[in-house]
Amino acid sequence: MKIIPSTLLVLVVSSLLGITTGFASNAHPVTGEKLANEQVFYYRIGAESPSIDPQLVEDVEGSAISRDLFEGLLTQNADGTLAPGVAQRWEGNDSKDSYTFHLRKNARWSNGDPVTAHDFVYAWRRAVDPVVSSPYASFMELTSIKNVADILKGNKPTSSLGVKAVDDYTLQVSLSGSLSYFPSMMVHTTTFPTHQKTIEKHGTSWTKPENMVSNGAYKLTEHILNERMVRERNTMYWNNDKTIIDKTVGLIITDENQAYNRYQASELYKTEVPTGQFKRLKKQLPIETHSNPRLCSYYYLFNMEDETLKHLNLRKALTLAINRSIVTDKILGAGQIPAYSFTPGSTANFIVPDTAYGKMSQKDRNKLAISLLAEEGYSRSNPLKVTLLYNTSEGHKKIAIAIRQMWKSVGIQATLENQEWKTFLSTRDAGNFQIARSGWCGDYNEASTFLDLMRSDSDQNDSNYNNPVVDELIVSARTLDDPNPNYKKVEELIAKDFPISPIYHYTGVLMLKPYVKGWPHQNVEANWYSKDLYITAH
Amino acid sequence: MDRPQNSLLIVMYVDNIKIQTLADNLSDGSEIEGRSLWQDARHRFFKNKAALISLITLSLIVLFAFVGPQFSPWDYEEIDWDAMGDVQVLGAPSFASGHYFGTDDLGRDLYSRVIQGTQISLMVGLIGSFIAVVVGTLYGAIAGYLGGRIDSAMMRTVDILMAIPFMFVLILLMVMFGRSIFMIFIGIGLLSWLDMSRIIRGQTLSLKNKEFIEAAIATGVKPFTIVTRHIVPNVLGIVVVYATLLVPGMIMTESFISFLGLGVQEPQTSWGALINEGARTLQNGTLWQLLFPLFFFITTLLSFFFIGDGLRDALDPKDR
Amino acid sequence: MLNFILRRLAIAIPTILVIILFSFLLMHSAPGGPFTAERKLPPEVLANVEKKYGLDKPLYQQIGVYVKNVVTDFDFGPSFKYKNLTVNEIIASGFPVTLVYGMWSFLFATIIGVSLGVIAALKHNTWLDYLATSTAIIGSVLPNFVMAPLLVLLFTVYLNWLPGGGWEGGQWQFIIMPVIALATSYLASIARITRSSMLEVLNSNFIRTARSKGLPTHYIILHHALKPAMLPVLTSLGLSFVGMVTGSVIIDQYFSTGGIGQHFVNAALNRDYSVIMGVTILVGTLTIVFNLLVEILYAWIDPRIRY
Repeated sequence: MKIIPSTLLVLVVSSLLGITTGFASNAHPVTGEKLANEQVFYYRIGAESPSIDPQLVEDVEGSAISRDLFEGLLTQNADGTLAPGVAQRWEGNDSKDSYTFHLRKNARWSNGDPVTAHDFVYAWRRAVDPVVSSPYASFMELTSIKNVADILKGNKPTSSLGVKAVDDYTLQVSLSGSLSYFPSMMVHTTTFPTHQKTIEKHGTSWTKPENMVSNGAYKLTEHILNERMVRERNTMYWNNDKTIIDKTVGLIITDENQAYNRYQASELYKTEVPTGQFKRLKKQLPIETHSNPRLCSYYYLFNMEDETLKHLNLRKALTLAINRSIVTDKILGAGQIPAYSFTPGSTANFIVPDTAYGKMSQKDRNKLAISLLAEEGYSRSNPLKVTLLYNTSEGHKKIAIAIRQMWKSVGIQATLENQEWKTFLSTRDAGNFQIARSGWCGDYNEASTFLDLMRSDSDQNDSNYNNPVVDELIVSARTLDDPNPNYKKVEELIAKDFPISPIYHYTGVLMLKPYVKGWPHQNVEANWYSKDLYITAH
Repeated sequence: MDRPQNSLLIVMYVDNIKIQTLADNLSDGSEIEGRSLWQDARHRFFKNKAALISLITLSLIVLFAFVGPQFSPWDYEEIDWDAMGDVQVLGAPSFASGHYFGTDDLGRDLYSRVIQGTQISLMVGLIGSFIAVVVGTLYGAIAGYLGGRIDSAMMRTVDILMAIPFMFVLILLMVMFGRSIFMIFIGIGLLSWLDMSRIIRGQTLSLKNKEFIEAAIATGVKPFTIVTRHIVPNVLGIVVVYATLLVPGMIMTESFISFLGLGVQEPQTSWGALINEGARTLQNGTLWQLLFPLFFFITTLLSFFFIGDGLRDALDPKDR
Repeated sequence: MLNFILRRLAIAIPTILVIILFSFLLMHSAPGGPFTAERKLPPEVLANVEKKYGLDKPLYQQIGVYVKNVVTDFDFGPSFKYKNLTVNEIIASGFPVTLVYGMWSFLFATIIGVSLGVIAALKHNTWLDYLATSTAIIGSVLPNFVMAPLLVLLFTVYLNWLPGGGWEGGQWQFIIMPVIALATSYLASIARITRSSMLEVLNSNFIRTARSKGLPTHYIILHHALKPAMLPVLTSLGLSFVGMVTGSVIIDQYFSTGGIGQHFVNAALNRDYSVIMGVTILVGTLTIVFNLLVEILYAWIDPRIRY
């Protein structure tokens, strides 16, 4: 059991001790562990990020960098609960359609300027500006801030966005409807502040190390395309005294096996466990190998407009015949959870409903699948022929191959089709598929981030699922005090209509050197902050 | 000016100097009498030990690719569910389990998969080089035979095509024809004929003035017939050598495509795909996953090289 | 000679234009676009982005604008994928890296390759010849995606001699493995070409004459055989050079060198149109230039060739 210091605790204890400077060659202020002299954290970045501009960031790696460089209204504790960021406190009105954030007065940009409510107003307008065209513009729509949709369509100016700086340190947000989980969406990078003068001066190149002004615990000091990304302590950061890591170095290594090699040589302190090697590594290096639940779902989509798959019995049979525990235990083997619902159980306040097929044994499922297929006139001698589309990846390939064999045993003959990512996306988007692999990770910790995909008018609804009851339940859930009964009903409908076949819920599998402490293993969104880490003497 | 160039990545593996020398020597010999040349060549080929051993090895591999499946209890796509979860132990090569070469990471029999990969890789190599050689020969022969402006226009086109980065075209082809490996190889074949066309054009230029061609023209044979009936058979020696040496390049290219994960569709496989999977798991204690396919891959490519070299030496009239 | 060079240069320009046109059309016919993403952009936003990058215009206009910008401003446009970088910056950051490890690879491959080839030819049909030849062939068929992880396992994981990747401004320890992995296949083919060319020369009449005059072997090789034997090798060196200095996706990905080689694959997979065009033009131009250089060198070494 590791002790993970909360920001507050560190704050109190260290102020008691009167520590004001760096911690080098010191003991940790809370735990008393001896710290390493060199507080540099090296980790693997799987691919160069398209952008680290908070409003333009679109990938996981870029978001992690952005979270170090910038600080939003709120941040997260190690367990994923909300913690004050630039906002010291916040409150919503009773109908939960208006929120007020009170900003701390000692927050500074790396050039010394104070961080004010105006910076947030600027950043948020930027996020919805059609000219900026943020890839996460749709996230802003999900926050329900007033007028987002109209602004994105170009019908209203960005100044009409429902956010206002009451004074320099008070930010007021008005929503188009009530949204109880609005504050939890404020840890997302798209809502982070950006420095107007810098962006106006440098244009798109403002994110280069020599130009960037940021308000997070770190500032960008080096960026070499496809090689490294270095961020170092920002002495202007309001809580700089409590930051232990001086420098975080992200090394861009595409190949996961090569990354593991370099981890072994201690060139990296953190990397992902290569596909299919979790069991072996857990045995060899039990302390360093971690598997943490994630807010992600892996599933197969059925094209409900396809001539064959529009038959419910067939979709059901395909879903039933997948032996999920083989996928999770034998192929992946890193604590992934077999999925019979779309929303993962790790989602806050969400209770996984017992779906009918989830309770059956695999033997019974296969039997049922065979009889359902027989009803439609298929059998092992006259198999159902389908095509399964997946994008190029070692992991997707393995799962597809195994599932193909499972289907074969009940009389389904699947042709596998592997396509490179962009081709795959355009094929799936155009509906030129029967069954397609899909995955989704939550943008915020609430079931709607998943279930929204099942709405008939969602852009992401690639199976063309159209159930008015589902639409109604999802929309009405937003204003409810306890939306979970609605979510449960939606999940039950999914397990009746089978627009998708859930396969498993992800875990994040990583290798972490034993001397790196403070990693937020409990955070299901896998949001980590360098400022919360420290390296013990080794 | 007619000097061969290694234009594309894959042609790196063809020793163009030798081909050109052979071409020069063949056209130096004033008259080529088909039968004696081929008979003589065969005789000399069989005296070349390296080439002969390679030919036997290659024949054995081809034989293995066709009769091998008879000896395996496992199908190439069947999963051994027992071995699946513990491949390091249960998936190791063993006669008892019937997995002579062990299993892959999913518990599929590697012996059967290597056989399947052998079939695909050989097919891909042969199709690719066949297309390259046919296109290159016809193009070069037509350009050389017609001469004049058409010839220089055709050869300028070749010059231009040679400057297009091969890798980039290859990847776009994969993206566009991702659904079929054979389409990709038709595409690669269509990209690899450039050197061939230059050599054949040079040959045709020197053949054009020979009496038998002039006689054919005088009797009113159509140009295309002259090219196919009289010119192509006379350059066949080079064509065969070139094609043999092109096959390894094609197989290498396929392995690169597999490295990018864009090769043949599962559950089918190829050497490249197998080697790539094996190389990824080098540290897993499943070394057989790399060594078996790599052995077949290297042995076959070596054989093609030695056979190609042997053929070249055998056909070269200067060495007689 | 000058006339010949000018004529070649005159052909080079339309060649590059054809390359541009060809790549442009091929690229746009690939499914998906630079802004195709898992999380779909709202249609209005997508329209805006496409307008921003000029993708809403008809193709012929896009090509026109592109060529104009390249010719008048040497501006290859912004990257579609990396939001804060231009193609010029991407090439400026990656090409110098590739140039460094490419040059070393070239030197390494040429020196070792030629020496191996010469030794094999001199000791024709001895065990030394067989050893050199087999090494060369195996070297040329061992895929570098097998070679690279083997090197890392040996030098980084087991021996702990060299860092497993990175570039750090090109310090020597970071260069060694990329060079070995990249040079091996080129080295092997250079060795094979040298060997056969050398054998050819050694069997020719003028060497026989020199031998019969009783000149010492090393003298014959250095003063008579090496130069004519090198002529065919030169041709392949020109293109090997271009191949090496434009790097390799496998090297760049395995060793995180940050070189330009990976852009061939990644830009095509990302549909990063402007980067595809940029690297294609770069390699096309280098190919043309080095072909020309080789031809000039050829003419200079071998006075029999007249243009």
